[in-house]
Amino acid sequence: MRDLAVLFKGNNLQRLLGGLGVTLELSLVSVALSVALGLLAGVLMTLKNPVIRAAMRLWLETVRIVPQLVLLFLVYFGMAKAFNLQLSGEAAAVIVFTFWGAGEMGDLVRGAITSIPVHQRESSAALGLTRGQTWRYVLLPQAARRLIPQAINLATRMIKTTSLVMLIGVVEVLKVGSQIIDAARYDAPQGAVWVYGAVFFLYFFACWPISLAAGWLEKRWA
Amino acid sequence: MKKIVALFVALILTLSLITAAFADAQARTLDEIKESGKLVIGVFSDKKPFGYVDEFGEYQGYDVYFARRLAEDLGVALELVSVDAPNRVEYLTSAKVDIILANFTVTPERAEVVDFALPYMKVALGVVSPDAALITSVEDLRGKTLIVSKGTTAETWFTANEPEVNLLKFDTYTETFNALLDGRGDALSTDNTEVLAWAIENPGFTVGVETLGSLDTIAPAVQKGNDTVLAYIDDEIVKLAEEQFFHADYDATLKDVYGDAVDPDNLVVEGGVIE
Amino acid sequence: MDTEFLRRFLPMYVRAAGLTLRLGAAGIVFSLAVGALCCLARQFRIPVLRRVAGVYIELARNTPLLVQLFFLYFGLPKIGVKLSAETCAIVGLTFLGGAYMAESLRSGLEAVDTAQHESGLCLGLTPMQNMRYVILPQALATAIPSIGANAVFLIKETSVFSAVALADLMYVAKDLIGMYYRTDEALLMLTLAYLALLLPLSVAFSLLERRLRHAGFGGAV
Repeated sequence: MRDLAVLFKGNNLQRLLGGLGVTLELSLVSVALSVALGLLAGVLMTLKNPVIRAAMRLWLETVRIVPQLVLLFLVYFGMAKAFNLQLSGEAAAVIVFTFWGAGEMGDLVRGAITSIPVHQRESSAALGLTRGQTWRYVLLPQAARRLIPQAINLATRMIKTTSLVMLIGVVEVLKVGSQIIDAARYDAPQGAVWVYGAVFFLYFFACWPISLAAGWLEKRWA
Repeated sequence: MKKIVALFVALILTLSLITAAFADAQARTLDEIKESGKLVIGVFSDKKPFGYVDEFGEYQGYDVYFARRLAEDLGVALELVSVDAPNRVEYLTSAKVDIILANFTVTPERAEVVDFALPYMKVALGVVSPDAALITSVEDLRGKTLIVSKGTTAETWFTANEPEVNLLKFDTYTETFNALLDGRGDALSTDNTEVLAWAIENPGFTVGVETLGSLDTIAPAVQKGNDTVLAYIDDEIVKLAEEQFFHADYDATLKDVYGDAVDPDNLVVEGGVIE
Repeated sequence: MDTEFLRRFLPMYVRAAGLTLRLGAAGIVFSLAVGALCCLARQFRIPVLRRVAGVYIELARNTPLLVQLFFLYFGLPKIGVKLSAETCAIVGLTFLGGAYMAESLRSGLEAVDTAQHESGLCLGLTPMQNMRYVILPQALATAIPSIGANAVFLIKETSVFSAVALADLMYVAKDLIGMYYRTDEALLMLTLAYLALLLPLSVAFSLLERRLRHAGFGGAV
């Protein structure tokens, strides 16, 4: 119980919040970019062109199968060794996460679009809407609604996976926690419980509003 | 479908062949460092007392103290980068840091991949176990479970010398000690200074083996072939022996932690000379 | 690329892949069960369970598995409950996975036209029969891509188990990198191992998705 004090020693609390800031900054930028690129990718994935389809498929399977850590190492260290291109840890992280996020998002968009019954398209054509108008007023809004739960899943997953970036030198919230615990190892051996507890709640209060916002959006578009 | 799989495997193999062909990135020479005004050193950020971050967000520790002196004597600013056991070497080969000062144990295999400077610390391993089932020799451990911390000398030593011992590896010291307290292993091994200090604080546990194996050394590492920086570090270490620098380092960073349980001369290496 | 190294450590990777697969598969199966339960509780509006399910889903999917695992492995012994690392791993994975599966199933259910619910009842089917023969097949068909993605994601999440000293694929890779510093070789084998595990899984789900497509549905493009 007395080890709880470790959270309030010095600047520890601010450092944890700072770490959370790093986590959120990286993930939210990546999520935003992923959504934008993902929408595009999703539409591309529904096209009938076999070459495009194969390329999209390859991209998706690559981001799903190759562990994010390998991608991070490839971009952060590999680029430096291959092309003497020194990227910061943050830059490498955003690149990798966007690459991953856009691919997964694209697949979700594809799934949402193809789940809309054919008659929606036929009715729109019958009503005289152009292809563009059909996409804009009929298909995309419905796809968006179906998309929301899984898109939120993806966003929160991305936020949680950012802890990997500690291995490319970016000090995010879990690493700060680890530093605090170890620095207090001799004085507060059970400090880990409190620090990890704090980290648990920090993640929760970062991700939960996104869930709530999604729920609200879903109801609004019912 | 088969085409996708084939394409994918081809992609992976091509990528790996390409990465294999990569030479190390261009490391900075001593002059380039001086010109840039900044020395970049990789240290641990969560392994007290060697490299850690205090409650004010400042790096501290035995390794960090030396890092500061290296930058000071070169007349440049110091930039510290947080590294971990799995990426210490990558930071050097990709030239993202100039020097690694991360409690790096010298082994022949590692010497093939990086260049080590003169040592500044020596390590003897100890084994701590519950009084009820005390381990008093390495032979006792065979067939049993030994808890170690990843990236430490203990891990290297036991993997190389005692394959009969089952190793249970955790990322941080805190986890290893908690695992021992919970009875997840029969014993724990790491630097004997560390286990001695811990056993004192934790009744019911004793250090049954106080030193084992040969003495291992900790040394700074630079990218293979980076002679100018290597020479600078070696010269520094020899020169600093005159002021007993590493003993001062010990007093500043380790003495409070280990107290009277440890004799500094068992740990400190001055001027790169092992006694 | 040191092929000698690759050959020497291949057995370690194979064993680790086995562990990853075993724990991952258990996690996926239990997650589906938990997810289905939560979904049913919310769909049929069972009073207390519905709330519990709601809280559980929010808590589980908004927090990282690593911290959940630490509480199970290091925290529980402090109150006298000592679980093996493998049990903690499966419980943790199920805790996390159940929430994701519940959401996937829910989105599948909601994608089914209300017309389907009503028509079924009009035709004289009981709610149970309606659910079983009309709603669920369509719901599953929509949910399959998402469930597949979750399954793949859960297998990759098993990499977190390395934190509680379980020798899974990530543990072995990091281990070899830390000891011998052959990063390229270690990561290559890691990728190939995950490839061997995940590609069949991904393909299986694709096939499943295609087979479950019914007429007049999924044909917007």
